[in-house]
Amino acid sequence: MVLEMAHGTFACATFNRDFIRGVDMLITSRNDLRDNGWERILNYFRKKSMWMLHYCTGCGAMELPPTMTSRWDMERFGIGPMATPRQADLLLVTGYLSIKSLKRVIYTYEQMQDPKWLIAFGSCPLNGGIYYDSYTVINRLALYLPIDLSIEGCMPRPEAVINGFNTLMKGIEKGTAVGYKKYKENYEWYKKNQDAILNRTKPVFDSGVKS
Amino acid sequence: MTQKEISEKIKENFPNAEIKIIDKKQFSVLVDKEQIIPVLAFLQNIDFKELAILTAVDWIDENQFEIVYNVFSYSHYQQILVKARIDRNNPKIQSVINLWDIAKTYERDVHEFFGIEFIGNDELKPFFLHNWLDLPPMRKDFDSLAYSNEVYGKFKEERDK
Repeated sequence: MVLEMAHGTFACATFNRDFIRGVDMLITSRNDLRDNGWERILNYFRKKSMWMLHYCTGCGAMELPPTMTSRWDMERFGIGPMATPRQADLLLVTGYLSIKSLKRVIYTYEQMQDPKWLIAFGSCPLNGGIYYDSYTVINRLALYLPIDLSIEGCMPRPEAVINGFNTLMKGIEKGTAVGYKKYKENYEWYKKNQDAILNRTKPVFDSGVKS
Repeated sequence: MTQKEISEKIKENFPNAEIKIIDKKQFSVLVDKEQIIPVLAFLQNIDFKELAILTAVDWIDENQFEIVYNVFSYSHYQQILVKARIDRNNPKIQSVINLWDIAKTYERDVHEFFGIEFIGNDELKPFFLHNWLDLPPMRKDFDSLAYSNEVYGKFKEERDK
């Protein structure tokens, strides 16, 4: 299991340029958006009380009950489950994301209040995982929403999840976990990618047959 | 009734039906598409009360779709796969919603994923897929990898390089 903090150059800015078609990312480095000053003081307290939205998309949700309950007990790091997006800080995309649930995840993410962090959980949001050739499951979440941290593995064990949370806490303290700012700055870029699959008006392949 | 008695009874009433025994609890009956409603109504009358599933198979080399009606009887403890072949270029078949209400859902599903039209079922609106404009995805000539590469970015090839 490899844990990686997605800071520095944003992967999707250099990747798949032909797919993005036109709009470029304005900000490619998180250092440009880094928290400073008063934010850094707030961040010191924020990192100790993160509320995780209890939203599950795929099979990865299976690893969260043991992470939450007494065996691994994530509450010792100040992370607790939360029922509504407006009160939550963390959004975990636990596993594959179909187009239909992507739409709901975008609603949910946009409902959450700043500061907010998004964790891509498992290999499916990173590269499609075993669903890489599916017609209804997206391959890369980073094209549609800004990922602060990705926890790789299929599935990541609770130790990896806890480790991932700790890495995120370090990122928050350093001021580099600023995905939500990135989303605001590059809203047009993300919206274009989202619209490309959610509001398609033409068929992808011209077959002449319509269902 | 035993399996033998049921299959003999079907043969008696529908001489064109091709019966194939699969195992001691299951056999298949291939009929013409015009006969599908009489056969299913007949089976429903001899206590095959459950339509377990209605699905389709794409025989692309023979240019045909095969519609499979999987009916089950609790009293005979037998499962019958009633099959009918239809033309792939003009996929139309009579709906069975008057025999089983549940067929509404199954037909909607088969319509969405294979593009088969069920005459008599008015509720064939999209079910699972979001804003789907392409070839129905469960047809054999739909290349899901090419679709995925085109829509979500050519990730697989770049990763394999």
